[in-house]
Amino acid sequence: MIEVKDVVYDYPSARALHGVSFKVEAGAVLAMVGPNGAGKTTLLRCMAALDDATEGTISIDGLDTRDDPRGVHATIGYLPDFFGLYEELSVRRALTYAARSRGVSEAATPAAVEQAAARVQLADRLETRAGELSRGLKQRLAIGQTIVHQPRVLLLDEPAAGLDPEARRALSDLILRLAKEGMTIVVSSHILSELEDYSTQMLMIRDGRVAGGGVVAAGAGVRDGTRISVTFAAPPADLDKVLAKLDIALERRDGDTAILLAGNGDDDSAVLAKLIGAGLKVSAFQPTRRTLEDAYLAEAQS
Amino acid sequence: MNPEFQRNLWLESAPRRVAWAIVVLLMIYGAAIMVLRTNPYGALTGLAGVGAVVFVACGMIWGARATGGSILNEIADRTWDFQRLSALDPWSMTWGKLLGSASLAWICALTGLLLMAAASLQRGEPGALSTLVFLTALAVLLQAISMGAALVGVRKARAEGRTARAGGVLGGLIVGGVLLSWVAGSAGFQRGAGLEGFGAMLSAKGLIDWGGRYWPADGFRAVAVTLFAAWAVIGAWRLMRLELQMRNAPVVWPAFLVFLAVFAGGFAWRDGGLSGALTTGALAVALSAYAAAFAEPADRVRMRQFRHHALAGDFARAGPLAPAPLAPLILAALLVVTALAVSAGSFARPGLAQAAALIAFLLRDLGVIALCRLGERPQRGDFAAVVALAVLYGVGGIVGWSVDRENGAALFAPLSAAPMLSLISGLVQAAIAWALVARRLGPSVPPSASASVPAS
Repeated sequence: MIEVKDVVYDYPSARALHGVSFKVEAGAVLAMVGPNGAGKTTLLRCMAALDDATEGTISIDGLDTRDDPRGVHATIGYLPDFFGLYEELSVRRALTYAARSRGVSEAATPAAVEQAAARVQLADRLETRAGELSRGLKQRLAIGQTIVHQPRVLLLDEPAAGLDPEARRALSDLILRLAKEGMTIVVSSHILSELEDYSTQMLMIRDGRVAGGGVVAAGAGVRDGTRISVTFAAPPADLDKVLAKLDIALERRDGDTAILLAGNGDDDSAVLAKLIGAGLKVSAFQPTRRTLEDAYLAEAQS
Repeated sequence: MNPEFQRNLWLESAPRRVAWAIVVLLMIYGAAIMVLRTNPYGALTGLAGVGAVVFVACGMIWGARATGGSILNEIADRTWDFQRLSALDPWSMTWGKLLGSASLAWICALTGLLLMAAASLQRGEPGALSTLVFLTALAVLLQAISMGAALVGVRKARAEGRTARAGGVLGGLIVGGVLLSWVAGSAGFQRGAGLEGFGAMLSAKGLIDWGGRYWPADGFRAVAVTLFAAWAVIGAWRLMRLELQMRNAPVVWPAFLVFLAVFAGGFAWRDGGLSGALTTGALAVALSAYAAAFAEPADRVRMRQFRHHALAGDFARAGPLAPAPLAPLILAALLVVTALAVSAGSFARPGLAQAAALIAFLLRDLGVIALCRLGERPQRGDFAAVVALAVLYGVGGIVGWSVDRENGAALFAPLSAAPMLSLISGLVQAAIAWALVARRLGPSVPPSASASVPAS
């Protein structure tokens, strides 16, 4: 769906991207992480065909950003980090303009507006002036404008910046819904925790380069190998020896809670059965997920 | 309906705003009628005068401000990227903004124009139509220039890493216009070109001597301003194409330069013949190169890419990246060479030799401008270039004059007193300036931008 190959981007006095390459499969939610100034925004703008890469190629849904920038514009939705709205227009008119200017026909526009408003949960505020919306609702309207033409690819640059926890939760829910509908989404942020809920893959950018091993699985719903977090009620002192007899490795222990590594291809239920069968009192059993922070630190160390 | 036009109508010509505008206009015209009841020429004649003021204030000043603002407000409100991503074609975006953003200004301006038309019909004035066409075209010209200046400002700001504004571009246009008038009105220029007709066109009195024929000044003015207005709209459209990430083949800009050369050369035809017309055309085109040099974004990366493709012989890729001053420079040089050829003369003729020296100094000046604007701080490049040129022409000229009067001064300016000396000096200085530009562009890879520590 997205293929970035050897992309170099030069500002007049500095090189911002040094031969960046990666691929994103259709339907993925890619978290693009990295420190401020790493080149994330520059890369997203090149992917959105708003800026020309100095070298290299970027293909979005088979369209080359340099050869067919207008085709790419029609294919994507892009929300910059500092977005603006037409504050004097009502939500309905803002979405209507967005739909018409993004190529939705005049006949199909009212339905597209209603659908976009429903997706971002603004259907009850269609006649409200954009300038009267809260920060979180403005964010939703901006995303509504971005998706009103039903793009196949959505690029979001620091979408949660400045949002309160409630609005962040709403944003996460929205991105999850869009991902379930089949949209390929790239979200950039330098704050890992805000990407945790919805990302399925991670790409680390550092100093204008792809750091670590490129795109890796991480975030929402991704298992961290065979790790299981287990809390025991009154665990024995020789817990490690008990577990070893069960062919389960103890990775680390913190009081009553231990991180276990299942062996011999045991699945979660088999591990739980072994623990109970050995007379251990299990009060909590939680297969661990590979968080973005885990992936980030692992990639950073590699 | 064009969505961009419709959005601008929503914002600019909302019913409440239109109602307020009508109230204000009624108050203005009502007050005028009260005052002009006893006007010996009739109230309508007086009203036409008020209408003219309303037209100028609304159509030209307010309208031009609105069309420039239609771009700059998008930047300030952070909606420009959203617009650049739209599916609208550049022409729809251009006319939607031009007409839409100035829609209320046009509604008000047209009331003034209608009053002027009514007064003219009542008096049965000849040439009234051409005056109305001239005024309308002039308003469109100013509005399109304002929008074009804003688009130029946006491109320059992006390349130079600063906030977009049109004030500098408009200021440059005004200063350029003043300088152009000064050069066109100078004795030395008129001796070779004879631009008395240009002045007659601006005042629209009598006849205009253009292309070896005499034309009614008012009609000529209306046609000329309409043509320039059309070029201004085309220019805004071409700039809009660039903003929407489309590439411009080097066709329209050279075509405008040819038009400009023909237009300017036509004034010199009777006195100078073809040679004089070509020389005058070359001078007009050469002056436009300065405007192009300052309007071009100071983008070292683009210059490097152009150089790379041009040296590789890949002119299909190099063409859209070509610096804007290149076309007027080449055209001016071609026109001068042609003028030399058709006059079957030599550099002994002062006017032609001086024109050749002018081209040499143009080449030098473009090099100096490029050198200043492609530095580490491009946002200060325009000012640095103006200062550098002022020092070269002003201080250099004074120093040269004090050393060897005309011959010394001719080393720093294309003077008719020593045209060959000026030509040689100009070429040498141009070579030095462009060598420094090439060095500044450099083949080296720029250093990496540093990054900060991530938050978790």
